[in-house]
Amino acid sequence: MAGMTFRPSGDFRSSYAADTTIFDDRFSRRFVVGLVIILALVPIPTVFDLGFDVLSRYWMNLLVSIGYLSIAALGLNILVGFTGQISIGHAAFFGFGAFASVFIYETTSIPVFFCIPLAGVMTAAVGLIFGVPAARIKGLYLAIATLAAQFILQDFFARADWFSGGSHGSVARPLEIFGYSFRSVHAYWWIVLAYVVVLYLAATNLMRSRDGRALIAVRDHYLSAEIMGVNLTKYRILSFGIASFYAGVGGALFAHHNLFVQVESFTIFFSILFLGMVIIGGLGSIMGTIFGTIFITMLPEATEAVAAMLRGGAVDRALNLGSALNYLKEMAIGLAIILFLIFEPEGLAHRWRQIKAYWKLYPFSY
Amino acid sequence: MKTLTLATATAAIALTGAFAQAQDIPVGHLADLTGPTASIGVAYADGISDTISWYNANGGVDGQQIDFETIDYAYQAPRAVSIYQGWASDDVVAIQGWGTADTEALVQFVEQDEVPYFSASYSGALTDPTGEGERSSNAAPYNFFYGPSYSDACRALVQWAASDWDENGDGSTPVWVHMGDNHPYPESPRVACTEYAEELGFEVANPIVYTLAPGDFTAQCLTLNEIGADYAYVANIAGSTISLLNSCANAGTDVQFVSNVWGYDEQVMRAAGENADGVVVAVRTESIWTDDNPGLERVREISGGGDYEVLSYIAGVCSAAYMVEAIGGAGEAGEISGPNIRAYLESQTDWVPEGLDGVCFPSTWTAEDHRGLMTVAVYRGSVNGSTEGQEIAELMNNGTMALDPVAIIELPRRPEWIGY
Amino acid sequence: MEGLRLGFLYQLMLTGLIIGTLYGVVAMSFALIYKASKVINMAQGEFLLIGAWICWYFLIEYQLPFWIGFPLTLVVMLVFGILLQIVVLRPLIGEPIISVIMVTIGLSIVFQALMKWLFGVSPQPYPQIFASPNVDIFGAQIRTVYVLSIAVSLVIVGGFAWFFKFSKMGLAMRATAFDQQAAQSLGVSVKSVFAMSWAISAMVSAVAGIVVGVVNSVSSDLSFFGIKVFPAVILGGLDSIVGAVVGGIIIGLLEHFAVYIDLFAGVGNLQQIVPFYVLIIILMIKPYGLFGTKDIERI
Repeated sequence: MAGMTFRPSGDFRSSYAADTTIFDDRFSRRFVVGLVIILALVPIPTVFDLGFDVLSRYWMNLLVSIGYLSIAALGLNILVGFTGQISIGHAAFFGFGAFASVFIYETTSIPVFFCIPLAGVMTAAVGLIFGVPAARIKGLYLAIATLAAQFILQDFFARADWFSGGSHGSVARPLEIFGYSFRSVHAYWWIVLAYVVVLYLAATNLMRSRDGRALIAVRDHYLSAEIMGVNLTKYRILSFGIASFYAGVGGALFAHHNLFVQVESFTIFFSILFLGMVIIGGLGSIMGTIFGTIFITMLPEATEAVAAMLRGGAVDRALNLGSALNYLKEMAIGLAIILFLIFEPEGLAHRWRQIKAYWKLYPFSY
Repeated sequence: MKTLTLATATAAIALTGAFAQAQDIPVGHLADLTGPTASIGVAYADGISDTISWYNANGGVDGQQIDFETIDYAYQAPRAVSIYQGWASDDVVAIQGWGTADTEALVQFVEQDEVPYFSASYSGALTDPTGEGERSSNAAPYNFFYGPSYSDACRALVQWAASDWDENGDGSTPVWVHMGDNHPYPESPRVACTEYAEELGFEVANPIVYTLAPGDFTAQCLTLNEIGADYAYVANIAGSTISLLNSCANAGTDVQFVSNVWGYDEQVMRAAGENADGVVVAVRTESIWTDDNPGLERVREISGGGDYEVLSYIAGVCSAAYMVEAIGGAGEAGEISGPNIRAYLESQTDWVPEGLDGVCFPSTWTAEDHRGLMTVAVYRGSVNGSTEGQEIAELMNNGTMALDPVAIIELPRRPEWIGY
Repeated sequence: MEGLRLGFLYQLMLTGLIIGTLYGVVAMSFALIYKASKVINMAQGEFLLIGAWICWYFLIEYQLPFWIGFPLTLVVMLVFGILLQIVVLRPLIGEPIISVIMVTIGLSIVFQALMKWLFGVSPQPYPQIFASPNVDIFGAQIRTVYVLSIAVSLVIVGGFAWFFKFSKMGLAMRATAFDQQAAQSLGVSVKSVFAMSWAISAMVSAVAGIVVGVVNSVSSDLSFFGIKVFPAVILGGLDSIVGAVVGGIIIGLLEHFAVYIDLFAGVGNLQQIVPFYVLIIILMIKPYGLFGTKDIERI
């Protein structure tokens, strides 16, 4: 399951530097940079009122959701995929970030622009606290401890009027820079995209550093890691901190997009979706996290669209599907997770590598 | 990857094809048919879709058909936002929404896009269109709902309880207690309602928490016994009321339960059987299925000759009918658009959608006050006999179950009550 | 009565004991799966739900008397448990823990939707099973069905004890739990041991599900019970069956003691949240629960 160690045969590296490049070759670097530029150009016609939209609000909203969710999911992947700690309470930290950003704005009225990273820091602090048990607890016991964190934080959100507005929730302000409001989903996309690029680069670089390798060592064999001088307690707690930082930033971005935050949004089901993103994308794969997020975000949209097409159509009448469509829709997410784990346990990242390898050698298969 | 491209492609097709005909009036309908609130959501959603279909089958709105799409969002707020953005791209003129999760998440969006949003969340926080109310947290100019707010329904029950205590009480100070989960929806009326209870001379006990998911609530019932509660307001939804009633019957709790609009209905009576006897509930509509009046004939027609429809169904009919009539009104005033629909709704006083007299209470929304209804019907449910193996229609017809009106409470439209 | 309100406390503790026993039963079936196959079953709540619906269906649709419908349900659950293990979980033997957890989560989502699809979303009452819904025990009204559930659970626990101690299959299961490879090399069919543990777990869960169904009526929310089991099993230690039952009882008592405290403190919702705080505290002190086996690793 190690992401960075997988290499097809014949792909040789002659230096350590080559071994840790972010992109394998010039093409993939250009491809990613180009993609980011294109994505940054997409909202321009709408924001500057050129009279046409490249993508409608519906699609932009999905892009923005994929953006902030993929940041939080990356945090979870660092925790689960790279460090091997299981967390079933990620949505609670995501929610903490969302509330924290609003809270910081309301109490200090510093600009929202700065509230978002500060919310990340605040969430990281909370993550470190909940990470302390991780120093002692391992495996399944840890998984259940994080489940407890989920319920404890949810209860805290519903209770802490001073922090989260209690069960009524709190209203978030739209982000403004020099008086320009990023209220529309098109403009907000730039903010989200910037965060995605920065945080993904940061994570990739982290994994190339001593600390990143230490995290992977903790995952692969913690006893050997300890013998080699890796401070287990430090890295276990640290990975909780990093994961929570990413979750917090993702949550804060969500808050200023949604403009309203309420405890109901951050349920255990949401935590499960985050795990789904990481697993479907590929444990321990940074690019895979994005694929997984896209998959989980698009799945309900796609099933909804299919259901809308079938509804009232010939197939619907023939099989008398009726309300069954709604249940099939609900089932889709569970089925996707099961099928992926049985048939594609390495996630979409693995499939992506296979596709790349296929085209590299095209038209000959070897 | 292949499945992904296929999926996105189909999504694109479906979304562009959803509102194909240009002259139709696009309207969104968000429902919970499979999620945690589905047990009460299905009947309400049926009420709405049946009503809109009925108008479409009977000439539409001045000849224009309403193109509505019911989407099940399973009570997940992020799904609601996503679905909403799709509708906003298609320029819907109004939306029929559902619960607290979606309504609160969308307040600011519908305000910005000027789309009237008819919710089945009756939170008091949605009733202040200006945001200037003493206690209101923020403005919700495009939120409407048919029915009393949660706070007002609870106040009406307080008022009923006060008069009930005068007649049947033992002269001591009655004890009022709020019961509900630590969750936005049950918490919504708590402060407003307990304040009013104190004002009317009740002793208010600490709130009792019980979960929205059903469980064994014997502990809560024992607490009711211990604090000597006389009136217990149940703020959760139907499923958890059933458990509570069963547990309390077992614990020998002697308390008058009073229920909010979503907490008690024919389904609860059937599921809890005789344990559900005697509960008092706030009702949103002027009549229920077993009544007889011309308006109700219309409801029967809308339901397509159904056997029996529960309280929420009829409330759904009213909500949809107000919306359709307002769309018609907006059309007469000029263009059918969100702001015009809102203007029409806010220009009428004490009105009932055509043909539904005696079903929906006359409502009034104004530009300063979105408390459409200050009138609350109070009913008492009675179950005398086993409900085993019988359907609601049979049980209501053979008199095993009945909902009897006990009072109609007219609340004063106090300015300080707006928005909370 | 005023002051310490001891009568109230007594009644609460009695309720807590009974409900705790029910938690214990579910926790036991959870621990059984873990002990045999090292799988955390996040779909345990759905097992309860499925059992409750199936029994309800037999009683309502086929009008079977309870004493036929109940064992019939157990048979169906037995088959269900075996099939589930063979079809879904067998391919995952040897996969990382997180994958197995996620598969059971996926299963819970699927079952949840499937049950709503098959049986609808409105809560359905169970028919009257017992002549009198309550019995009087030590001055408190206890529901007959709880008494039955405790009796059935005792029988099951007794059966288990006998099964593990004396039967060949039980011995095989214990051997597998102790050392999978060694058991396999001695000719124990690990696959059938796994299937058996899922089947037993599904059956025991169904008993609990039916009890909850009789008390509250059946609806898909019933599976929420599955969450309650985590504090209980952690308290007892994941791989201890006796520990699970004890953990369940402790959690039940704790929850109801929290209600007692709440009456004075007026914090609200202590009942729901206290078990999770206790869980974290216990894990800080004893990372393998109160009765769990400490994992000793050799290099």
